[in-house]
Amino acid sequence: MSTDTMIQEKPCYSYGFEPSTANKTGDWRFLTPEKSSRLSPCRQDCLLDGEIPLWMEAVKQEKWEEAWQIVSRYNPFPAITGYVCYHPCTSNCNRGQLDQDIAIEEVEKAIGEWRLNNIKAVQRPIKYKGKIGIVGSGPAGLSCAYYLNAAGYSVTVYEKTSLIGGMLTLGIPEYRLPRYVLNRELYMLEESGIHFIKDCPIGDKKDLCELYEEYDNIFLATGAWKPRRAYIPGEEDRRVYNALDFLSAINSGGQLEISDPVVVIGGGNAAIDSARSALRLKGVNHVSLVYRRSRAEMPANQEEVEAAEREGVELIFNALPREVEKEEQDIIGLMFDYCKTDLNGLSIDRSRSFSKSCGTVVMALGQQADLSVFCEFGRDVPFFAGGDLITGPSTVPEAIKAGRIAAYGIVADLEGLPVPQVMLPEQPVVSFEDLNLATKLNIKMQHKECTPELEASRCLGCGTCNACGTCYIFCPDMAIDVINGRFELNLDYCKGCGICVKECPAQALVLEGGR
Amino acid sequence: MRIDELKIDSEMLYSGHNACPGCGAALAVRYLTKALGPNLAIVLTASCWSIISGMPPLTALKCPILHCPFPSAGSVGSGVKRGLNAAGHDDTTVVVLAGDGGTFDIGLQAMSGAAQRNEDYIFVCYDNEAYMNTGMQTSSATPFGARTATAPYPLFKAGQKKDIMQIMAAHGIPYAATATVAFPDDMESKLKKAQAIKGFRFIHILSPCPPGWGTESSDTIHLSRLAVSTGFFPLYEIENGVTWKMTHYQGEKKTPLKEYLSAQRRFKQMDRQRMEMLQHEVDHEWDCLMEKVATSPSE
Ligand SMILES: Cc1cc2nc3c(=O)[nH]c(=O)nc-3n(C[C@H](O)[C@H](O)[C@H](O)COP(=O)(O)OP(=O)(O)OC[C@H]3O[C@@H](n4cnc5c(N)ncnc54)[C@H](O)[C@@H]3O)c2cc1C
Ligand SMILES: Cc1ncc(C[n+]2csc(CCOP(=O)(O)OP(=O)(O)O)c2C)c(N)n1
Ligand code: SF4
Ligand code: SF4
Ligand code: SF4
Ligand SMILES: [Mg+2]
Repeated sequence: MSTDTMIQEKPCYSYGFEPSTANKTGDWRFLTPEKSSRLSPCRQDCLLDGEIPLWMEAVKQEKWEEAWQIVSRYNPFPAITGYVCYHPCTSNCNRGQLDQDIAIEEVEKAIGEWRLNNIKAVQRPIKYKGKIGIVGSGPAGLSCAYYLNAAGYSVTVYEKTSLIGGMLTLGIPEYRLPRYVLNRELYMLEESGIHFIKDCPIGDKKDLCELYEEYDNIFLATGAWKPRRAYIPGEEDRRVYNALDFLSAINSGGQLEISDPVVVIGGGNAAIDSARSALRLKGVNHVSLVYRRSRAEMPANQEEVEAAEREGVELIFNALPREVEKEEQDIIGLMFDYCKTDLNGLSIDRSRSFSKSCGTVVMALGQQADLSVFCEFGRDVPFFAGGDLITGPSTVPEAIKAGRIAAYGIVADLEGLPVPQVMLPEQPVVSFEDLNLATKLNIKMQHKECTPELEASRCLGCGTCNACGTCYIFCPDMAIDVINGRFELNLDYCKGCGICVKECPAQALVLEGGR
Repeated sequence: MRIDELKIDSEMLYSGHNACPGCGAALAVRYLTKALGPNLAIVLTASCWSIISGMPPLTALKCPILHCPFPSAGSVGSGVKRGLNAAGHDDTTVVVLAGDGGTFDIGLQAMSGAAQRNEDYIFVCYDNEAYMNTGMQTSSATPFGARTATAPYPLFKAGQKKDIMQIMAAHGIPYAATATVAFPDDMESKLKKAQAIKGFRFIHILSPCPPGWGTESSDTIHLSRLAVSTGFFPLYEIENGVTWKMTHYQGEKKTPLKEYLSAQRRFKQMDRQRMEMLQHEVDHEWDCLMEKVATSPSE
C-alpha cells in the first residue's frame, strides 16, 4: 500500500483525510497585512519618474514584454535613455550601500533593445477625432507624439530641418548614441502612423495660427538652439563655429572647413561633445578645451569629462577668450585672460593673459530658447509647450517627461476630462535602514559575468513588492498565494501574525488594524 | 528568487491548520514535509502538532500522520518503518515528529533504544523549549532563567538546557543536525542529506513559540535568526557521532545574548547576574563546539 492509497482508503481515523483548508483561520485575525507602495530612491531621482523597481522585477523574471509595458508607461524610448541619460537614478541606489549600485541604465537599455528587436511596429488605429499638431521632433515632441498616437489620436509632427530627432540626431554624437538604435526608434514611430513633415520651420514656411486652424490642439517643443555669443573680436570668422552648428554638420554628414589645432570654448556637455567629435575628424591632431572657471565648477557630466581626457583632449581652466588672432585670412590663435570665480562673480586678470595657437574655434557657450515662434500667437489661444523650449537646455529624459505630461494634458483638454495627476506625489523615500536585509536568502550577491537579468535580480525593490518571495517562504499559514507570478495575500487563512510584514526585505507591506 | 525556484507544487502543508499566529513549529513542519515529501509517513506524539494537524476528518498535511502515545514515539517509528518495509514500501520516508517534551523528557528512553538499534527513520524534534500544548510547563529543554507555568515569577528555570545533541552523538548515529526556521535553505539541505542516509537520523529544530516565549508573533523569524547569531543555537551537523561541522558560521563575533533574551517576556525578570551566567554558558558551549569541529576527523 503506498501512502497515497493509505490516504484514500477511508475510514482511517488516526489522521484526517480532508484538507484543513475547510477551516477558515482568517477569522482569527485582528491585524491585516497590506501591500503598500513606497517611493524608492531611484524613482525619486529618475528624471522621468520611471517605475524602476517594478520593471527590474519583470526583467529578473525574464518577462521582457511585461518589462517593456511597464517602462513605456513613463518612457517610450528606453534604448535611447539607456545610452544617453546621465542616470542620476543610480546615485542614491540603496544597493550601493551593500556592494555596488544597480546599473539601472544598462537594464533599461536592454529592455529598449529587446523591444526594438522583438516588437514589430504596427499602424495604430485612430480611435478619436481630435487632431494634434506638434512643432519640433526632439525627444519632447516625439514622446508627446508617441503617447497621443498610442491613445488613438491623429498626430502630425512639423520639423524645421530635414532630419527627425532634434538634439538626438543633430546634437548627440554617434559614439554615444549608436544610430542603428536611434534610427530604429524613429522608424517605429513613423510606422505606427505618426505623420512627419520635414523641412517645415513653423513661423517661416507655415505660421502657428495656420496650424491652429488645422489642429484641435498644439504642442510646441522647438528646443533651445539659439547660441550665446562671446562678443569678442574675430568671432564672426567662418572657422569660428558655434557648437550646435559644428555638431549638426558632423552628425548630418555636412561639410566643415577645419584646420588643426582645434580649440573648444566652454565647460558643458556640448563643449565636451564638440571636443571629442573634433578629435575624431580627419586631419585633426590636437584638441584643447578651455573653460573660464575651475574643473570643479564644470557643468558637464564628470564621466564625459574623464572620457574626453582619456581620449587626449587637453583641458585648460580659468581662462576667458579675449580675441581671435588672425594673420591674413587665417586664424592663427586665440588670446585668453586669466580669470576665476570669487565673491564678485568672475574676476578677470588681464595681466596674466596668454595666447594659444589654433586653426579652428568651436564656441560652446550655451544655448537659449528662441521664443520668436510665440510672437505671432494671440494671447488667449490655449496651447501646450515643453522640453528645452520651456526649461532651457536640460536633458533628454526631462524632455520625454514633458512630452508625456503634455500628451495627458491634451487628452484631458480634448475630451473635457479633469487634468490627471501627472507629478509623483510627495512621500518619504525608503532608506537603506528601512530595508530588512537580514534574510540573505533573497539577496543575490555581485555577479561576475553580468547579464541584465542577473543585474536586475540584485535590485532590492525598495518599497515595492518585487516578487522576491520572502513573504511566501516565511508564512506559517500558507496564506500567500501565487497568482500570475505575483504574490497575493489570502485573507481566508491569514492569521495576521505579521511575519511577512516584518521580513519583507523591500518593506512593501504594512500591518493595518482590524480585518 | 524566481518564482519557479520556490517549488510551490511541493508544498505539503495546507492552510487552515490550528497553530497560533506566527508559530515556528508550523513553519518547521512545512519546510520538513516539503523537503522530504511526497512519499512520507509521519508518526506524531502528543504535542502542539497533534492540534495543529487538525481534528479528523480534517488534516493539515498531504501525508499520513499516525498519532501515538506520548512516550512511545521512538518505538512506534521503528514499527511503522519495519511494517512498511515488510509490505514492500521501502521507499517511504518515515519521520517521527515530537516536541521537546516528547524528545528530551518523556520520549528519551524509546528514542535512545531506537537510536542504539539504528532504526531506519528520521527523528525530528521541534523544540519550543517547554510543554506548550498543555500550558507552557518547564521541560528539560527550557533554557536557564526562563519563566514557565511551573516556574512562575519570582521562580525561573534553574538548571541548564539538556544537551540533546551530545546525547545523540554519543549514540554514534549516522547523522544528526540542528536547524531553525529563519534558515529554510540550511534546513532543507540537512533534511535532504538525512533522507539519503540509511539508519537513525536526528534533526533538532528550534521553533520559536510566540505565546510560550512571550514574543510578538511577527518576531518568529527575527528571533530564530538571533538564536543563531548569538551562538545560543548554532547550526551544525554531526556525522557518525564523531565528525562535527558548522553549516552556518557567522564568524567569531557573536551578537550579545541580551538582544535575544530581551525580546522575550519569559526572560523579562532576568537580572544582570543571571544574564551574564547564561552568556557565559553560551560562550563556553560555543568554544566546546568549535573545539569539536576543529578536532573532528574528516570522513
Ligand atoms: C551636444 C549636446 C549633447 C547632449 N547630450 C545629452 C545627453 O547625453 N543626455 C541628455 O539627457 N541630454 C543631452 N543633451 C540635452 C538634450 O539633447 C536636450 O535637453 C533635449 O534634446 C531637449 O529636447 P527637446 O525635444 O525639448 O528639444 P530638441 O531636441 O532641441 O528638439 C527640438 C526640435 O525642434 C526643431 N525646431 C526648432 N524650431 C522649429 C520650428 N520653428 N519649426 C519646426 N521645428 C523646429 C528643431 O530642429 C529640433 O529638431 C545634449 C544637448 C546637446 C546640445
Ligand atoms: C502520557 C501523557 N502525558 C501527558 C500528556 C499531555 N500532553 C499532551 S501534549 C503535552 C505537551 C507536549 O510538550 P512537547 O512535547 O514539548 O510539545 P509541544 O506541545 O510543546 O509542542 C502534554 C504534556 C499526554 N498526552 N500523554
Ligand atoms: S536597489 Fe533597486 S529599487 Fe532600490 S534604489 Fe537600487 S535600483 Fe532602486
Ligand atoms: S505571514 Fe502569513 S499568516 Fe502571517 S500575516 Fe503574513 S500572510 Fe498572514
Ligand atoms: S503554543 Fe507555540 S508551538 Fe504551540 S501552536 Fe502555539 S505557537 Fe505553535
Ligand atoms: Mg515543547
